[in-house]
Amino acid sequence: MSLNITHAVVVTLTATFLLLAADRAGELRKNQPAYVPPAKPAVAAAPAVDPDKGKPPVHNDTVDDLPESKGREITFYTCTACHGVALIKAQGMSRELWDQSFDLMLTRHRMPPVKPEERVEILDYLTEQFPPRRRQRGGDNPFLK
Amino acid sequence: MPKKGTFRASRRNVLKGVGMATIGASLPPVGSAMAQSAPAASAAPKGPKLLEMDGKAKLAVLGDRPLVAETQAELMDDDVTPTAKLFVRNNGGVPDITGDPKAWKIKIDGEVNTPLEISVGEMMSRFPSVTYQLTLECGGNGRSFFSPEARGNQWTNGGVGCPQWTGIRLADVLKAAGLKPSAAFTGHYGADPTLAGETDKPTISRGMPIAKAMDEHTLIAFKLNGQDMPLIHGAPARLVVPGWAGSLSTKWLKRIWVRDKEHDGPGMGGFSYRVPKKPIVPGSKGDEKDTAILEAMPVRSVITFPADGTKLTSRKLDLRGQAWSGEGDIKSVDISTDYGVTWKTAKVNAPANKFAWQRFTASVDLPSPGYYEVWAKATDAKGVTQPFTAANWNPQGYGANPINRIRVLVES
Repeated sequence: MSLNITHAVVVTLTATFLLLAADRAGELRKNQPAYVPPAKPAVAAAPAVDPDKGKPPVHNDTVDDLPESKGREITFYTCTACHGVALIKAQGMSRELWDQSFDLMLTRHRMPPVKPEERVEILDYLTEQFPPRRRQRGGDNPFLK
Repeated sequence: MPKKGTFRASRRNVLKGVGMATIGASLPPVGSAMAQSAPAASAAPKGPKLLEMDGKAKLAVLGDRPLVAETQAELMDDDVTPTAKLFVRNNGGVPDITGDPKAWKIKIDGEVNTPLEISVGEMMSRFPSVTYQLTLECGGNGRSFFSPEARGNQWTNGGVGCPQWTGIRLADVLKAAGLKPSAAFTGHYGADPTLAGETDKPTISRGMPIAKAMDEHTLIAFKLNGQDMPLIHGAPARLVVPGWAGSLSTKWLKRIWVRDKEHDGPGMGGFSYRVPKKPIVPGSKGDEKDTAILEAMPVRSVITFPADGTKLTSRKLDLRGQAWSGEGDIKSVDISTDYGVTWKTAKVNAPANKFAWQRFTASVDLPSPGYYEVWAKATDAKGVTQPFTAANWNPQGYGANPINRIRVLVES
């Protein structure tokens, strides 16, 4: 008997979920916003003056564009709030110079302040993932400490 | 935290989509090392991302936000740089500019008797129109040759072009405003929004001594290669300050503030466009107080034909390239095919006008089949030439102008 009740509850609940899931127009959930199908990709008439005309193509970086390691997320979201991932990946530097880059962003480029512990995490990440790479000359300078 | 990522789903992004494609098989940069090793054959060379943009050639993209793209050496082979092949360097965004370009206004104020607010149309009718072929070069050109790496966009030699610019002399506008005896320096302001999207703060604002501003080749330009200037190159009006760091050649020019002292806008302080007065240990932090403003760009040569990595079927090689200096006074170019042991003098053409780059050509005979490096070294009127390796390392990487080299293989 209890088995039948459990069975009935499961069936009822499942049916309800399915109905709600299928209810894209929202008729069973009057207080929910109705589903609006996505607009067809723009074949619509171009605006009279396109403010993007002559502008560079848009590029979308994602967090996966940075190598996976501790600190990747915070580094991505902090740095790409202003500039692309390519600028980070273009260079390899010592911790001291990455630290100097951080100051440059804060002072010269008006980057919003970052919590000290976040700065450490980002610097750890940059130092580990993007160290100096050109070792043919100068990378092992005896005058560097 | 994730909310910061929502900028990626703006309307424009959705509509326009990703506009750049990665195309491989481009040439690896010729690095600062003088080692003889050829590029590793095993690891498939991952070429630079190539620019996909209306009106532009497939330049090498150094950064997409802000857009920075350099001209590959083999695309610098035109005597006059076509607009499509001119490098792109932005510090911030590209402004929304609509309406009549002739109504675009520029303000001249500060140490002048009569501050002006003058439209492009008025400037065109009031002052003589001039056209020059002028070299425009990014201050950081050559940065990738530094070892260890310096901070910033890793330009090889492609942050440069020499197209024809048409406009008026900045000197004429400054004279019309009447420079006070106290006028010492300029400060330039463009309309580009900052990378954070602010339009009320300058993205960059650099300036120059009045003498450079009054040089007859320093222009407010409206046309590029005889055509309307594309937005990406600074329309409706931009400065062209030939031979000096490109950041002075403000795009989307809005204002010139005449100062009674050295300008102090963003891009004038710290290590920005500054070089150490005393040589510092490469890779060290340096002392930004002990620096001087980078002014004229150093002497440089680039072999534009053949391309780096070319296989030759003949031992006779007719090569050509471009040479220039920040003072526009290249006197000679020398070519070596034996790592600088012996040099041969190239033929150097006269410039189209002062501050235009100069074509050099040479014919060399390679003694046998095999691997060769072809080196080019330009020398200016004062006898100043290019070093064998990037010298005077500085944290933000200005002034790297080592001897240019390409690698060729003569097949038997």
